[in-house]
Amino acid sequence: MSLNRNLKLVLRMAWRDWRSGELGLLLIALMVAVGTVTSVSLFVDRLHQALIDESADFLAADRRIGSSNPIPEEFRIKAQARGLAIADTMSFPSMVFVGDEMNQLVSVKAVDPGYPLRGVLQVADEPFAQGVVTRDIPSRGEVWLDSRLFPALGIEPGDEIEVGLARLKVARVLTQEPDRGGSMYDLGPRLLMHIDDVPATEVVQPGSRISYRLLLRGDDSQLTALKNELPLEPNYRWQGIRESSPSIGSALSRAESFLLLGGLLGVLLAGVAVALSAHRYARRHYDHVGILKTLGATPSQIMWGYVILLLVIGTSAVLLGLLVGSALHVVIVELVRSLIPVELPMPSARPFLLGAATGFICALAFALPPLLHLKNISPMRVIRRDLGGAPPSQYLSYGAAIAGSLGLLIWYSGSLLLTAWTLLGTGLALLIFGTLATLLLRSGRVVGMQAGSGWRLALAGLQRRHKENVAQILIFGLAIMLLLILFLLRSSLLDEWQDQVPADSANHFVLNIVPEEVDPLSAMLDGVAKNQGGLFPMIRGRAVAANGIDAETWEQERRSADAPGPSLQSERNLTWATEIPEDNSLVKGEWWEPDEQRALVSLEEDYARSLGLDVGDSMEFDVGGQSIDVEVTSLRRLDWESMRPNFFIIFSPHALRDVPATYMTSFYLPREDKRFLNTLLGEFPTITVIEVDAIIAQVQSIISRVTQAIELVLVLVVASGCLVLVASIQASRDGRMSEHALIRTLGGTRKLIAGSLFAEFAVLGLFAGLVAVVGAEITVAVLQLNVFELTMNLHPWLWVVGPLVGSLLILVVGMFGARSLISTPPIIVLRGLD
Amino acid sequence: MTSQLVIRAEGVSKVVPTVEGELTILDGIDLEINAGEAVAIVGASGSGKTTLLGILAGLDMPSHGRVFLVDQELTSLDEEQRARVRGEQVGFVFQTFQLLRSLTALENVMLPGELRGDPEANRDALNLLEKVGLGERTGHYPTQLSGGEQQRVAIARAFASRPHVLFADEPTGNLDTSTGQRIIELLFELNDEFTTTLVLVTHDDRLASRCQRVVEIEAGRIVP
Repeated sequence: MSLNRNLKLVLRMAWRDWRSGELGLLLIALMVAVGTVTSVSLFVDRLHQALIDESADFLAADRRIGSSNPIPEEFRIKAQARGLAIADTMSFPSMVFVGDEMNQLVSVKAVDPGYPLRGVLQVADEPFAQGVVTRDIPSRGEVWLDSRLFPALGIEPGDEIEVGLARLKVARVLTQEPDRGGSMYDLGPRLLMHIDDVPATEVVQPGSRISYRLLLRGDDSQLTALKNELPLEPNYRWQGIRESSPSIGSALSRAESFLLLGGLLGVLLAGVAVALSAHRYARRHYDHVGILKTLGATPSQIMWGYVILLLVIGTSAVLLGLLVGSALHVVIVELVRSLIPVELPMPSARPFLLGAATGFICALAFALPPLLHLKNISPMRVIRRDLGGAPPSQYLSYGAAIAGSLGLLIWYSGSLLLTAWTLLGTGLALLIFGTLATLLLRSGRVVGMQAGSGWRLALAGLQRRHKENVAQILIFGLAIMLLLILFLLRSSLLDEWQDQVPADSANHFVLNIVPEEVDPLSAMLDGVAKNQGGLFPMIRGRAVAANGIDAETWEQERRSADAPGPSLQSERNLTWATEIPEDNSLVKGEWWEPDEQRALVSLEEDYARSLGLDVGDSMEFDVGGQSIDVEVTSLRRLDWESMRPNFFIIFSPHALRDVPATYMTSFYLPREDKRFLNTLLGEFPTITVIEVDAIIAQVQSIISRVTQAIELVLVLVVASGCLVLVASIQASRDGRMSEHALIRTLGGTRKLIAGSLFAEFAVLGLFAGLVAVVGAEITVAVLQLNVFELTMNLHPWLWVVGPLVGSLLILVVGMFGARSLISTPPIIVLRGLD
Repeated sequence: MTSQLVIRAEGVSKVVPTVEGELTILDGIDLEINAGEAVAIVGASGSGKTTLLGILAGLDMPSHGRVFLVDQELTSLDEEQRARVRGEQVGFVFQTFQLLRSLTALENVMLPGELRGDPEANRDALNLLEKVGLGERTGHYPTQLSGGEQQRVAIARAFASRPHVLFADEPTGNLDTSTGQRIIELLFELNDEFTTTLVLVTHDDRLASRCQRVVEIEAGRIVP
């Protein structure tokens, strides 16, 4: 038979099947699979882009190259050759002077006209006023200053200041700059100037502490290509958001993991719905194929017929699904437009490719095995019904479904770890569910013997269709489990995030407090600021030896030059403390007694590990020319995401108490009380105040946006779950129809049927809910521990809510899906039965 | 095989595994049927007559023995080849009519022609439906037709492939007496017109008596 003729015949048969509604559910299931995946990934893709853009603001670029050496011209040429936008910045500390009396240490940033490549600058005409967005940078001969420098230097906008040898005019007040974040110790009050004015200052001398940066903006692929092309090591650091701001980086990673997990579960649920409807379609075609075979259709004709049919259905479903998905995503974007104040960028092609691939992979992996099996149906079935149709090969069905799911999940998530844990959770749950469901059904039958007729009928039905019902409990249970997992993870992630940055956490840091200022400054803060943190002495110093080996040799032998993290030899902020600071936890060794008389030190655990240091080692520090020998007695874990002062190295009080120190502290100040800084700086002109409220606001805005995305994904996954329920009820529909028709013929009332259906769905939902809770608790515990790095906890309320939700959900969807079972007159059903 | 012989079964046995062990359904059947002959296979329920019909028609394979249909040895063919033989040589009428519910009467009758790729399938099907008296009901679905009407559609479909042999399994088993009688008349009328060999399984004495030969099966063997 020619392919052309075969195709025509298949199309004709497909049209006839479609007309009779046989293909509807399969097409809809495939379409919903494609639509869900497309809309979720379209939204996630655009939101992801928006989040990346937003977080790129923290760098003022997509990537940047940083160094203490000038950036070679070759880097700029190669970046521009790749079509990337570039901008140069230089940062360095410098003293500024006003006349002979007033001076202040500032953090100078010199920029060129391309700056910033991402994010915006905000300026005001008065100190501490609300800023407005500007596209400009300071003109040559001008500088923009932080509000707090005006009272500190006693100047007004329009006055002149001296930076090195240059006299520059203070033109505007700088209220916000995108890349202000980063290490808080680099943040003095800001002075922004034009990069071309730097030579005139003559502050750049050999040995000056200058941070050179080349900002880059462009496509990921171009950026990666440039990174590989440039000779970066060992002097130039390539930085993305994750490297430059670990706290934002980790929030973003979690958000991505979560959104992916949501989409991933959506794909799995859609696959289940497709498999169910394909199995039902195939089962309804056993007779059809038997008859075709008696009429001379060959097995290969049957096989190719159904393969072509599936491709036709798959293609139609993909096209429709892409349309529906795009439309749905537009609706979603419209719905959340008011909630998401950022402009979403145009989507990439990936969501569409992913949607289309999902459709075809679902069709091939979930729907093809039962359809292929049709070619094995014996034509004898037509005259000997008892021959039945052997079920499709389980190895083929499950093998194809598992392979298909795996492929999709890995491609979708791009993460083997996340995929593996999700599948492991699902696999374990199926095993537990299967056993649990069997036990529950058996016990249900025993209880049912004593129950009224509606319940007895329902429970007998559940027990009689034992295999199907175990399967249904598995599917319902799985769907409910996925929803519970998503809900649990969502709430625990959000709580965790919110806890990290409470609304009134410290948003200002004060440095350079001399010992005599400690008491009066604390007293002044007490009146206005909230949540004042402890006072920490700060002493600059560096390690010179470890275990008797000089620091340079020690480090060379244990640590590669490009390893991340701080170097042993670099100068650091040291402190001493009697008690272990809040948010620090001891992971090894012991904290010293308050009256400890030895010189001891406690190290941050990653810092110690990267340098090969451990409890019991000895170290030598150089603090202001004075040599201090200490023993490492404990390792600590820090909470880097907390907005509190953190130290890698803490000494016992005895070791540093007599060394001259300045102090630092932190406090919370609401935006409306900002003018208090004027008073504070007027009273204590030598202190340095660092404002991190802008950074905190940015972190909170990212978190709130991620929250919305997660809620949305949850809604879409619930929709996929409902589709699985409907498909599953449809799959058992034929069997139920004939059974109910027989019962009604024997005198059963409509009420009895309705009652038994009600009882059956309720019990099925209860059982599914119970097993879902077990599965969800296990999976969430594993995911929390291993993927999201959160602490594990059980949820007692879930054991009530899970079964209740299961019963309600299956009851509502089930009774809705089965309403025609109750209303159809028995004669119609019986006549339809062969 | 001589040209007169259309069907020949040699030592055909059918053994199936059951939970209680092996069950012999057919046991050494030898049977020859000539072209144009009408043969009724009769016997009690469970005697094996339907299984024999299935094997003679190439729907099933015997455990032992050989079966020839027209000029082909069915037992040496694979399912692919047997399907082709069925499409070219054989027509079927079943007790439960076995019409495809999603297709109209016309589409059901067109099906064998469509499977063969016959461009005249539609015209032939219309003619056959006229012949069986359903020219006005071509667009109706099986559920909209009575049992007798459904069986008439099935008969029209059986002749649509211009078969050499027509196999019928209890063609009147689901019909009342008078409808059954009309179906018998129609079947033999068309059988004469198309000079088909007719092999049918029946409990119906009237139907059996219309055939030239009656083969009785008892416990899987032909009663001599």
